[in-house]
Amino acid sequence: MRPSFFHHLHPPSIPARQARFRHTLASGGLAVFLGLVLGITGILEIFYYIPTPGEAALSIQTLTFLVPFGGLIRNLHFWAAQSLVIVSSVHLLRVVFTGAYLPPRRFNYLLGMGLFVLAILLDFTGYILRWDEGIRWALVTGTNLIKSIPLLGKTLYGSLVGGTEPGAATLIRFYGWHIFGLALAAVLLVAWHIFRVRRDGGIAVPPPPLRETQERISRVELVRREVLVMLLASVALLLLSVFAPAPLAPPFTATSPLPESVRAPWFFLWVQELLKLGSPFLWGVIVPLAILALITLIPYILPKPIQSEIGHWFPKSNRLAQVLFIIILVSLLVLTVLGLLPVSY
Amino acid sequence: MRRLIVIASALLLLTLLGIAWLESRHVIPVALTPSLTGQVEYCLSCHGDLPEIGKSHPVKSFGCVLCHGGERLALEANLAHNSMRGGKNPADFSVVQASCGGTICHSGSTEGYRDHIQRATTSIQATYAGAIASIRYTFGEQPDLTAHLGTTAIQDSQSTSGITSLEVFNPLLETNPAVLAFGQTCLTCHLFAQPGQTGGRYDHFTGCTACHTPTQSSDLTSIDTKTATQVHKLTTAISYAQCDTCHNRGNYDLRAITFQPRQDTPTDRLHDYYQPIAQFTKCEYTLDCIDCHTRTEAMGDGNLYSNKKQIQYIQCKTCHGTLTGLPQTLTITDPNHIAFRQSLLNPVIELKPGDNVLVTEKGEPLWNTRLQPDGTYELVGKATGQVFPFKPVMGSGCTQDPDDQSSGSCHKCHSVER
Repeated sequence: MRPSFFHHLHPPSIPARQARFRHTLASGGLAVFLGLVLGITGILEIFYYIPTPGEAALSIQTLTFLVPFGGLIRNLHFWAAQSLVIVSSVHLLRVVFTGAYLPPRRFNYLLGMGLFVLAILLDFTGYILRWDEGIRWALVTGTNLIKSIPLLGKTLYGSLVGGTEPGAATLIRFYGWHIFGLALAAVLLVAWHIFRVRRDGGIAVPPPPLRETQERISRVELVRREVLVMLLASVALLLLSVFAPAPLAPPFTATSPLPESVRAPWFFLWVQELLKLGSPFLWGVIVPLAILALITLIPYILPKPIQSEIGHWFPKSNRLAQVLFIIILVSLLVLTVLGLLPVSY
Repeated sequence: MRRLIVIASALLLLTLLGIAWLESRHVIPVALTPSLTGQVEYCLSCHGDLPEIGKSHPVKSFGCVLCHGGERLALEANLAHNSMRGGKNPADFSVVQASCGGTICHSGSTEGYRDHIQRATTSIQATYAGAIASIRYTFGEQPDLTAHLGTTAIQDSQSTSGITSLEVFNPLLETNPAVLAFGQTCLTCHLFAQPGQTGGRYDHFTGCTACHTPTQSSDLTSIDTKTATQVHKLTTAISYAQCDTCHNRGNYDLRAITFQPRQDTPTDRLHDYYQPIAQFTKCEYTLDCIDCHTRTEAMGDGNLYSNKKQIQYIQCKTCHGTLTGLPQTLTITDPNHIAFRQSLLNPVIELKPGDNVLVTEKGEPLWNTRLQPDGTYELVGKATGQVFPFKPVMGSGCTQDPDDQSSGSCHKCHSVER
């Protein structure tokens, strides 16, 4: 059989041991698939979305309720975006817990971290584009955090929000960032990231002499596995979309009373909890950035895993990285759960 | 692997078929673009079976959202109803300005008492200032009967009654246990408050719709639905039964500060009226309350008052005159006269320029009455359309003292035994 275009995107063969689902958790491939879903559904949404404060929420309601399958498209976009944050985290976790960031893959780890940040920022900007009552925390508290940055705060706030308070300029800027500043950047970074995977020798695996087995699978088998995962992910996304529609609320108005509970989007609940501790600049800016920097610098500052152990779960040689990652992960999860508890004010 | 892919494909196909089936079961959108808003709304997709609220607010002009609020595009109940004003009642006084107000609607011109929201919210029916002042005076909490407190804090610098503001009545600040008890148990009798008693004859809304939207038991002309208590209707033809949802609910005991809901079930109109000891003439139980009581009596004249007696002024003589004088009448010639507007809103009578109608001493036309060529009068029931001919006192065998025009004086001869 002559390889198709899709087969050609893959290496002719890859090590069987590292191609197993239990090794990859299918997370890298899933992230690409979710990105594709997001791209397609996002392009469809562009045709109906009107990025003005008066029309944004109404145009989303029009899309959701009045356009045939519009609600489904929007729900797919929403669930693919939420899933992408989780799947990217799992992908990152897999890379750290298998020591896969060892040079020469260290630079691709940076690219991956860049993509991870882009995924979060895309989720955040997309969330703002709803411009309804549900986004109040993100819009007001989230942007006010920027103001807390010494010296630069006001300038940064002005350039992001486009005025002294959120309004039409804010919305169009977030729209611009969502589609061009972030999504386009993500497309380029994904291409670079995948290119680097191939250039760095494919999935992380010990050098041939140190491998337990030399067994490999063909790209035909690899594509089959990918197709299987995509089919199952499609079913999951569709079911989520039908049975748990993306949230909607009445249009955001600056004068409307504060809802009883104002919450951050789920992926920033941990920041909301941190903010209760005190200084917005320290807990809302410095600490989150420090956590991000710490994770990003893992391949550079912590002891490197040894060659023979990479491509295996939990190498002894990078225990410190694993422990650090688990501490961060558990802390963020605990803070998120705290943020989910009923608000008491 | 191939088998797994086939199974997964089948699963995906099944999911897609399920979604197509669910999509086919969605509500079919029914669009309406009311002429007053020019903005499409889809409320009728679900509420198409609701009867139109009335001729004065046709759905083609008003739609639903202009009055009710809500999300006009949403086809999902929770979101659609999320931003509705006042829940089922957009005329609740907390939201009435947004729902019913506006210069082209009910808070516009002060001319001809057409700033209805300002009048209604400052009226004694809304402030409850009379009852609060009376109780506080009775129990020694204030030196006179002048109202200082109301159900809500309100200011009216243009009030000509001598009262320009009311502070809010907070029962918890009262030291007298009787006044405290009054505050805790008796503050359900005003237009801001949810009814204390519910069910059947006691059901009414708050705000404007307390009077202008009939309940099932008070809507004597058409009962639209068996399930909903309230009827989707706005009317100025308000039957006595609507007034009864507040004014005939029972009796109160001033010593114990308790309210006793009415226990009996009256079988005729005469007994369906007020307290058992009250006296009535025939017109008081055959007419509807609004046939005699004017709109400023019911809805206020824009001033703050201490007592309902300061605003309620209709007497027997308004229609019947006295032994020495005929009732006042007015020949309406101006086609823009308020009487024409009122008769247009509730077309029980066809007034023509040149008609003579009775007029109160404050100049309010009793637009549902007419002087007949033979010197008698007729009144048309605003809620019933029934015609009641009547004569003036002058020239009759009445022996009343012309200086005593209290109803008690008339009741000496004209009360009906109960």
